[in-house]
Amino acid sequence: MLSNTGPVAKLYLSIIDDVIESMRELFLDEGLEDRVLDDLRHLWESKMMQSKAMEDFRKNNINSSNFVLQLPASYTQTDQDVTASVVIPASQTIHSFPRLKAGSETLATFSLPAGLAYPVQIPAGVTLQTASGQLYKVNVPVVVTQQPVSQPAQKVTAFRGAAAPQPAAAPSKTAAPPQEVDPSPAPAASVTQQPPQNANLPPSQETSALQQPPGPAPETSLPQTEPEVPQVENEPSPHPEPVDLSMTASPCTQLLDFQIRAEEALAQTAPLQTRDIDDILKEVIEAERARSQASTKNDNQAEPVLGLDLDYSYSDLSDIVQLDGAADNSDLEEDEGGVPLEENDFLGIINAEAIKALQEGEGSSDGNSISSSDSEGADELADIVEEDPLNSGDDVMEQDIPDLFDTDNVIVCQYDKIHRSKNRWKFHLKDGVMCYGGRDYVFSKAVGEAEW
Amino acid sequence: MAYQLYRNTTLGNSLQESLDELIQTQQITPQLALQVLLQFDKAINTALANRVRNRVNFRGSLNTYRFCDNVWTFVLNDVEFREVTDLVKVDKVKIVACDGKRHTEYK
Repeated sequence: MLSNTGPVAKLYLSIIDDVIESMRELFLDEGLEDRVLDDLRHLWESKMMQSKAMEDFRKNNINSSNFVLQLPASYTQTDQDVTASVVIPASQTIHSFPRLKAGSETLATFSLPAGLAYPVQIPAGVTLQTASGQLYKVNVPVVVTQQPVSQPAQKVTAFRGAAAPQPAAAPSKTAAPPQEVDPSPAPAASVTQQPPQNANLPPSQETSALQQPPGPAPETSLPQTEPEVPQVENEPSPHPEPVDLSMTASPCTQLLDFQIRAEEALAQTAPLQTRDIDDILKEVIEAERARSQASTKNDNQAEPVLGLDLDYSYSDLSDIVQLDGAADNSDLEEDEGGVPLEENDFLGIINAEAIKALQEGEGSSDGNSISSSDSEGADELADIVEEDPLNSGDDVMEQDIPDLFDTDNVIVCQYDKIHRSKNRWKFHLKDGVMCYGGRDYVFSKAVGEAEW
Repeated sequence: MAYQLYRNTTLGNSLQESLDELIQTQQITPQLALQVLLQFDKAINTALANRVRNRVNFRGSLNTYRFCDNVWTFVLNDVEFREVTDLVKVDKVKIVACDGKRHTEYK
């Protein structure tokens, strides 16, 4: 298949062959066609070709950097001469160029001068010379842009839009008829004749992913992201976070609406512990009402706890605390998934002092579990009020470790013996695959020394 | 069972990406993809043991070392890799090494 390959490339290709052949029978047993296995092989090989790991084979094959060009069959049929859909500056010459068969879908591998930057435009009339001395004339001006080859079997690959941030590991060119090419330079120029779904999917995924972060922010307002609500309520200043979340209503009414829904959900589920907490909350809320001289009390709900008083101002709600996480005693089941969050809403309007006052009154009457949970809750409330609402204090500052271990130069191997004498280490390794400097290497034995 | 160590190589990662693409297009099942990876583990372990016959020396300074679950992980700085033919210098390299004497664990 490949005439001049380095030892690493040969090994890799032999491994690919072994794996594919050994899986052939299994694929047939699964009822899959050979085409699927061939697709897997093509995908695997194309990814390996694109990666720099196979650079040694490429260097043996071609003088300078390669890229793979795919020409549409129809494109070649118009002219018996090879129409290189590769973009090359007129002043540059092509060093090597494999033979392109006219009238068939072509996979042209050729090299450009190393200093060439993409996109490259080849005006019409450029003559390209292969290493073997064959001359090819470019009859139609073409533009070669940087594009990963998703499906080499396809005749034309789709360009990625400018929004696609993924760079190709090794640039691969695709042909584009000039009239369809966007005159603007760069990867924004794209022509798709038969856009494969794979190539289209990533850009759409990316764009949708881009759209998603701002999207859910207003959407996941009260109805959905319950944890955000108490966090919002925790903020001392009426920061725009509730404003951002709210679509139409004021923050207060939104919170209240959410609490009403939460109350309804609570009424439906009501595990024992939450009932106890509900009772406590009821009393605290009533105490709050009495304190703020609430006028009416809603009796609409089954649980009168959330006879939500619209007189609550946002400033009152601003110093509410959050009682979830460790303070939450309910089981984290899906049915009760909403419950702890809804508890937070109840607790959102409760001050820490009110809780403590309640606990002092009820500590003798209620069971130990409740009092312990309440005391724990009170402590949590006090702590949470002081913490950053986003719980950034929980973060573990280990940033240096991930950065330290994050490197592209990796050796994966087995060790025979690791020896240390004071701070001098000696490594006896075997059967390793190395990737450093962008290239792949293998070894059967490696011996090393290092000082710590 | 062969070490799954080599799945985090260029070859292994490209295979996993290719299998993921086929799973996405529902051409193969995840179970079959797992079988392919297991076969890959066997193939690469065998290939490295039998078909590779070269030796490399290296020298550098050890930044960190870690030994956990019988796996050594080192980070070396300013390393020179010396083979018969050439010399390559890198400023940072990570070595992940499984026990060469036992081949019964998944890594």
